[in-house]
Amino acid sequence: MQLAVNIVVLASIYALIACGYVLIYRVSRVLNLAHGELMMLGAYMVLATASLFNGHPVIALAAAILLSLLVGVLVYVFLMRKMTGEMVLAAILTTVALGILIRGLVVLIWSAQQQYPAQALGVPNPSLVLFGGARVSMWSAVLVGTTVIVYAALFAFLRFGRWGMRMRAAGQNPLLAAQRGINLHGVYALAWSLSTLTGALAGILMALDSGVTGGMPVIGLKAFPAALVGGLDSLVGALAGSLIIAAAEVLLIYYVDPLLSDVVPFLVLIAMLIVRPWGLFGTREELDRV
Amino acid sequence: MSLLQVEKIEVVYKRVITAVQGVTLSVGAKQIVAILGTNGAGKTTTLRAISGFLGLDDARITEGAISFAGRRIDNAPPHDITARGVVLVPERDKVFPNLTVAENLAVPVSRAGAAERRRQDEQIYQLFPRLAELRQRVGGLLSGGERQMLAIAGALMCRPRLLLVDELSLGLAPVVVQDLTRRLLAVRDELGIAILLVEQSAAAALTIADHAYVMENGRIVLDGDRERLKSHQDVQEFYLGQASGERRSYRAVKQYRRSRRWYG
Amino acid sequence: MFRPVPRASGYFRTGYGQDLALVQTRAERIGLAIFVVILAGFPFVASAFALDLACQVFLASVGALSLMLLTGYAGQISLGHAGLIAAGAFTTGILAREIHAPFWITLPASAVTGSVLGFVFGLPSLRLRGLYLAVSTLALHFVVIYLGGEYETKRGFSTGILVEPPSLAGFKLSGGRFWYFVLLAAAALSLLICINLLRSRSGRAFRAVHARETVAEALGISIAGTKLLAFVISSAMTSVAGCLFAYYRGFVSVEAFDLFLSIQYVAMIIIGGMGSLLGALLGAAFVTLFPYAIEALLHLLPNADKLAGDIFAVNYASFGVVMILFLVFEPLGLVGIWHRLQNYFLLWPFKYRPLAGARK
Repeated sequence: MQLAVNIVVLASIYALIACGYVLIYRVSRVLNLAHGELMMLGAYMVLATASLFNGHPVIALAAAILLSLLVGVLVYVFLMRKMTGEMVLAAILTTVALGILIRGLVVLIWSAQQQYPAQALGVPNPSLVLFGGARVSMWSAVLVGTTVIVYAALFAFLRFGRWGMRMRAAGQNPLLAAQRGINLHGVYALAWSLSTLTGALAGILMALDSGVTGGMPVIGLKAFPAALVGGLDSLVGALAGSLIIAAAEVLLIYYVDPLLSDVVPFLVLIAMLIVRPWGLFGTREELDRV
Repeated sequence: MSLLQVEKIEVVYKRVITAVQGVTLSVGAKQIVAILGTNGAGKTTTLRAISGFLGLDDARITEGAISFAGRRIDNAPPHDITARGVVLVPERDKVFPNLTVAENLAVPVSRAGAAERRRQDEQIYQLFPRLAELRQRVGGLLSGGERQMLAIAGALMCRPRLLLVDELSLGLAPVVVQDLTRRLLAVRDELGIAILLVEQSAAAALTIADHAYVMENGRIVLDGDRERLKSHQDVQEFYLGQASGERRSYRAVKQYRRSRRWYG
Repeated sequence: MFRPVPRASGYFRTGYGQDLALVQTRAERIGLAIFVVILAGFPFVASAFALDLACQVFLASVGALSLMLLTGYAGQISLGHAGLIAAGAFTTGILAREIHAPFWITLPASAVTGSVLGFVFGLPSLRLRGLYLAVSTLALHFVVIYLGGEYETKRGFSTGILVEPPSLAGFKLSGGRFWYFVLLAAAALSLLICINLLRSRSGRAFRAVHARETVAEALGISIAGTKLLAFVISSAMTSVAGCLFAYYRGFVSVEAFDLFLSIQYVAMIIIGGMGSLLGALLGAAFVTLFPYAIEALLHLLPNADKLAGDIFAVNYASFGVVMILFLVFEPLGLVGIWHRLQNYFLLWPFKYRPLAGARK
């Protein structure tokens, strides 16, 4: 039972991170390899806002989340906008470079030690007991719930919301979208800000649960195979991929070898690339986007 | 006072290739104007220059001016031009393949409010009844004619005052083309929208155009109203496929190209 | 790619020998001779620190050249370069440690490991391109690192494997000057191999596959064979670099071969300039010397002590900034800047090249 709970928690983490990759890829065909670092930035910002809004944890959290939205927009406007229309490889490497930059800045500003936003905010993290004797920490449970809410909201927005439809349109045929009056820069900025928002939520909730260090982006990188396995432009795929990879990881760690934890997502990824490169639910494109 | 005035424009690709030179044309309000010519004549480039989508191919309008409703729009950003009321129905990739017909019509941006948009929707479905039956069909699964209808309908959702149509008849059966041209006429008559049509099929274009221009090698060589063009010998031979009998000498063929020389 | 105006006043080669020669004009020959003299004399006038820097640049050049061959010329994106270097280093370390193999066994063994691994890394390229290929190489890199980590923990080398310096006939070969010449020879040899490979049929096949696969196939070039060949040759070279790395550092540990190392190599070929061997060399020099330059710059700043403690983070941040600057403003890299400079002086007082051709 504990195993099942672990799988669900890990899958939620991966899913919440993976939807960020999917959002940006679906709308602008760019792979944002700085997502893990942006997620970490969100977690560190809680530390900053915690000291700013001392004694008001809710405000501090809300402020950190809003700041992350802003960061997403800024990253697009000042950096990625210049890369629209360039080779896709160049855009991806720009995100990689951005990630490296953020990693350095984070250590310079906040130091490399492990820090605990939960303590800074003064919020507790009790361990809840579920049926079957399994235990889960409160913030992990909140994370699972958040993932469900976020996915539901994203589904509704993309399917029924007018700007969600426009985002999908821009992803399918950017030129035609521009000819129909859609401001592509605006749509891309929206995608980036939503992606950074979901990433920051993931980062903040993970940090509240187990603290934040400079090593957090590794989880972001492990969630990327989840997005790819499900199909880089499919939200449903991200959910499915996260479940598969989380299950594989937890089970293999438990029954085979704990050292496998970092490499399991990539083994699943390799298997999927051999069998079905465009993922479980992705659109079958030309596969040569560079 | 014409709605669209193109004044001696020159379009240059990659700074070295002149695709269009000295082109002057105008479209009056509620007029249907056609640009005819073979491949490579520069028709699509002219249309792209007007709609502002030259930047993708590394091209620029280097001379001349384009004004719409009195304001200059040459080299303006594309969504500006769309907002002013000049909307393009492109030649390729004209619909969103993974969105349904209803979603395709909901996506275009216009300043209309919700009630206004619903009214527009109704109007479109009246003009194109076939689309009303296909509301939930995904764009990529439509037939060629239906797709062209959807493309035009999508452009109309932007509330244009001038519609630019690029190669309407490409890849479509003649019966379908006839149907579409009749609907374009209805668009002009009921919605009061001017239309600039770029067409390889002169026969189809000349059934609905009030005025037409013939382009060759980036220049305009002939223009006139429908009757004049239909009865012009060269147009009949080269564009309408009605050969006049014996072969003509080289000098005679050059005649109509020269006749435009002093019009620029 | 962007080529400078040829310097000679025309092509007057009258024989195949002349055509194949690496240096054409007399000016080029004199230039090369001076360059060789400088390179040969450098270790006798430079400090130990400068010598170490030069060695690192040469070592990086081998990896950069191989990656340029793979990505710049054959067009196969690889983000798993560090994994290949690790493979070479670990082969050397394992063989040296387990069976005390001498260097004239470990070096070829590394090349063989590299070739086999290159074949494996290259298999996805038969089906995937672009982004998906890059991702597959990334995944394979993690698998290699995992295997290295497994070996380290299972055999008790949790802090890494110590590698003894290579010995020949009982003499231990080490010392700054010795390594300078060895690594210089390795870099020069790699450069020569690359130049000749690119001028050969295989090299032309690489470029053809990169440009348009369908056309290349129509011309009778085996796409699968060419891609795999590119991967195998490039990986063999990279693994040899890994072997040299193991001996030079004397120490092999899985932490040294992280993703950042892969990114550094990719940065080398991008900052240097894609599609140019000179670019690989310039990029290798730039990226290798960059941290030291930053450190030197740091000491000039007023509050140096505070930042000096986080030198690693400063490196990261400034590396990210520089990479972004190159990607956004100078996609043709250092070679692009160099060619622009050359053209400016060669064409002066004219501004544009004489032929009214397309910009490229």
